[in-house]
Amino acid sequence: MFKKNCLLLLPSMAILFLGTAVIELGKYPVINFSLWSYILAIAVGAFCIAGILQRTASDADPYIFPIAMFLGSIGLIMIERLKAALFIPQIHWILIGMTVFFGIVYFTKNIRFLVNYQYLIGLCCLLLLSSTFFIGTEIGGSRNWIVLGPFQVQPSEFAKIFIIVFLSAYLIDHKNVLSLPSNKFLGFRWPPLRFIAPLLLIWGIAVLMFVVQKDLGSALLFFGIAIFMTYMATGNKTYVFMALFFFIISSIISYQLFGHVRVRVAIWLHPWSDPNGMAYQVVQSLFAFGSGGIWGTGFSHGYPGLIPEVHTDFIFSAIAEELGLLGDVPVILVYVLLIYRGIRISLQCKNEMNVLLAAGLSISLALQVFIILAGVTTLLPLTGITLPFISYGGSSMLSSFIILGLLFILSKKENSNA
Amino acid sequence: MRDRNIKKNIMYSAIFMFSCFFILVVYITYLQVLKSNALANNPLNMRAFQMEKNIQRGTMLDRTGKKIAFSERIKTGFYHRVYPYADMMAPVSGYLGENIGNAGIEGYANAALSGQNNPWSRFGPIAQLFSSNRGNDVKLTINVDVQKIAYDALGNRKGAIVVINSKTGAIIAMVSRPSFDPNTVEEDWGALIQNQEGLLLNRVSQGLYPPGSTLKPMIADAALKEKVTDQQEIFDCKGFLKINDSYTLHESHNEVHGSVNLREALTVSCNTTFATLAMRLGESNLEKTFKRFGFTKEIDNEIAEASIQLPQFSKLSEGEICQVGIGQSTVLVTPLRMAMLASAFANQGKIMKPYLIDEIISPSGVIIDRSKNEVWLEATTAERANIIRGFMDNVVTNGTGHAAFVKGIDVAGKTGTAENSSGADHAWFIGSAKLPKEDISFAIIIENSGGGGTEAAPIAKELIMNMLKTEEVAS
Repeated sequence: MFKKNCLLLLPSMAILFLGTAVIELGKYPVINFSLWSYILAIAVGAFCIAGILQRTASDADPYIFPIAMFLGSIGLIMIERLKAALFIPQIHWILIGMTVFFGIVYFTKNIRFLVNYQYLIGLCCLLLLSSTFFIGTEIGGSRNWIVLGPFQVQPSEFAKIFIIVFLSAYLIDHKNVLSLPSNKFLGFRWPPLRFIAPLLLIWGIAVLMFVVQKDLGSALLFFGIAIFMTYMATGNKTYVFMALFFFIISSIISYQLFGHVRVRVAIWLHPWSDPNGMAYQVVQSLFAFGSGGIWGTGFSHGYPGLIPEVHTDFIFSAIAEELGLLGDVPVILVYVLLIYRGIRISLQCKNEMNVLLAAGLSISLALQVFIILAGVTTLLPLTGITLPFISYGGSSMLSSFIILGLLFILSKKENSNA
Repeated sequence: MRDRNIKKNIMYSAIFMFSCFFILVVYITYLQVLKSNALANNPLNMRAFQMEKNIQRGTMLDRTGKKIAFSERIKTGFYHRVYPYADMMAPVSGYLGENIGNAGIEGYANAALSGQNNPWSRFGPIAQLFSSNRGNDVKLTINVDVQKIAYDALGNRKGAIVVINSKTGAIIAMVSRPSFDPNTVEEDWGALIQNQEGLLLNRVSQGLYPPGSTLKPMIADAALKEKVTDQQEIFDCKGFLKINDSYTLHESHNEVHGSVNLREALTVSCNTTFATLAMRLGESNLEKTFKRFGFTKEIDNEIAEASIQLPQFSKLSEGEICQVGIGQSTVLVTPLRMAMLASAFANQGKIMKPYLIDEIISPSGVIIDRSKNEVWLEATTAERANIIRGFMDNVVTNGTGHAAFVKGIDVAGKTGTAENSSGADHAWFIGSAKLPKEDISFAIIIENSGGGGTEAAPIAKELIMNMLKTEEVAS
């Protein structure tokens, strides 16, 4: 009999098999057998992981892995439909992601050791991010990539995890100092400078990413992570105000100084003033939402190919067009469910650092999903960033599975009780 | 306690993020429900055009089932539109282009031809169940054989011919020359829009010309209706009419028609008689008459029309009123409207609504839509229509339109020689004929060619003779 873990995998596997079948039958009589062996590998891998984890970690959260596989499956069939050439690479990435997830949760019993290496981790994060300043390559308008032979790596996807780990250790260690401000200045009580220096450093890095790399999405994400984690650790609203003040000031300055920032804002405020020029991508995305309507055009029957870069940042617009409101809102709800499980894991942890780590990871997922979805719908200015588990890309897939792995470990009793 | 605080902060943060997602879902719902149609139908949204590329556009057929336009798959996998009759049918079919939009029936019936007018087309997956990869066929009222006769009769001269069924309003032929080849319209576009000859203009419904003497049957009808004359009154034509000190109206070639009644005046196309009648009618009666015959009313269907130009009647001088009476002044009409005027006298005073689309047929052969014959206007009484029709018969048997005489066939007509600003006079001939199979009305104009009796009326004869031949062949 199937256990809950395996049972929950059935919808995602159904999506994967049926979606692939729909596309492949369209190509009949050409039959690609190697494709099906890959699909089978994902299914077998997913059921094995779920089965083994059911036995070895029966107390852990049974939902998050099937949820990730559900989102991954939707992403896979959308990529197969949008950019067939990237389907096999994406299958590779999801298989590697699953392996990494399994490796993390199977071989790591306890993650408290991370506390001892917090500064090392912080340093790693700095190195990762600064690497792009020196040896970065510009791809798709953002200089946030490193090319390693055949691979293109997006260090910020991994630095994100390091920063969350570092912050959760650092903030818990220094919580008392941080939450007991001593100096009163400008109506707020400020903590000693040396304690908030790492925070200022992260914000500084975020601004640098913003300015030098034109990577507005990651900058916003890092900035948001830092604010949320500081607030969650200290409960001190001074940091939130401080950060918002800092954010507004730097936004105004960069708006004044940098053309690309002004362009983004102009596109957001008036997408219809230049629909075939600067705002082309956003306008095409809006057309996809409108053309999809409530019911969608039906899978593989829309024209999302009209949106440039639809397989990465704009994959949600393709889902909205072909699956309609009835398809895209459930996808959002599944993300909300994943984030809810993450928050639940956090609230069940006993160790403060684990509490903050799980919450940080969950909030980072929430922020990332919200930033890109608000961007493609023009609710907020568009900032290029991937949709976790769904967008095409190895770095994004891998880092999302690492986050999932960390959440899974944190959900185990031995961690939540410690 | 501190631990509790952290968890409380986490709760607040989570609630904040979930609220953000709630706003997002509300906004997406707004986009996909309330704004859906506006975004989907935005002219910049290329999806409709992409969709059309992937489905086989329906065929445009003439009333006998001959293909006027059809789509065939080419090597690239996309469909390619073919117009077998090239420029002969261009004024009817119109064209279709990726960057130039569409026109004619291709434009008007686009939704039907591309299969997008189906009621279930906005229901996503359900639509996919019912959808066909083929659009609907559109069957027109045009008869390719008659179109060819008219096209050949016009030869290489600039002008237009329109033939309609007097009893139904169905347009049987619609020829405009010079024209363009819709097969290559996209490649030729630059040259086409530069060309001064008006190649893209469908002269039948978009060409504006002074009607000249072809307007006289309408003036005669108005004179009888308003009782400013009767059939017995004798007019004395001296070859000119002195309106006032500064203006004298002359007969063409200074002919003197002598004593004529209304019937004879129309037969010889006497300008002084009709100028006199126009003055007797006055500007308000003239205005009412144009309205009565539909010149101020739009057809408002698949026929793309240029608006008829009429003078501001209240501001007309006496001389200008006389000019209106002989179809000059600032009156500008289309050949289609003149054929409709002729049809009123051939159809007991009723003008039928002209139309081109007969049926819309689904890929499975079901007739989705069929045109109804509609009385567009009751322009005049059956009694007066028959009187005027009798006058117009006389024009052909004994008068200026004798070149259109066909033995054994009842042909009625009126010639026109319209002065215009673009050079030599336009030759007009409008009228009707009772063919064995159907009653037709027609308008023929040949630009800058001279007299209607010598240039346009012979074309009517050729048209009728050849139509009789094809009717015999068909039967």
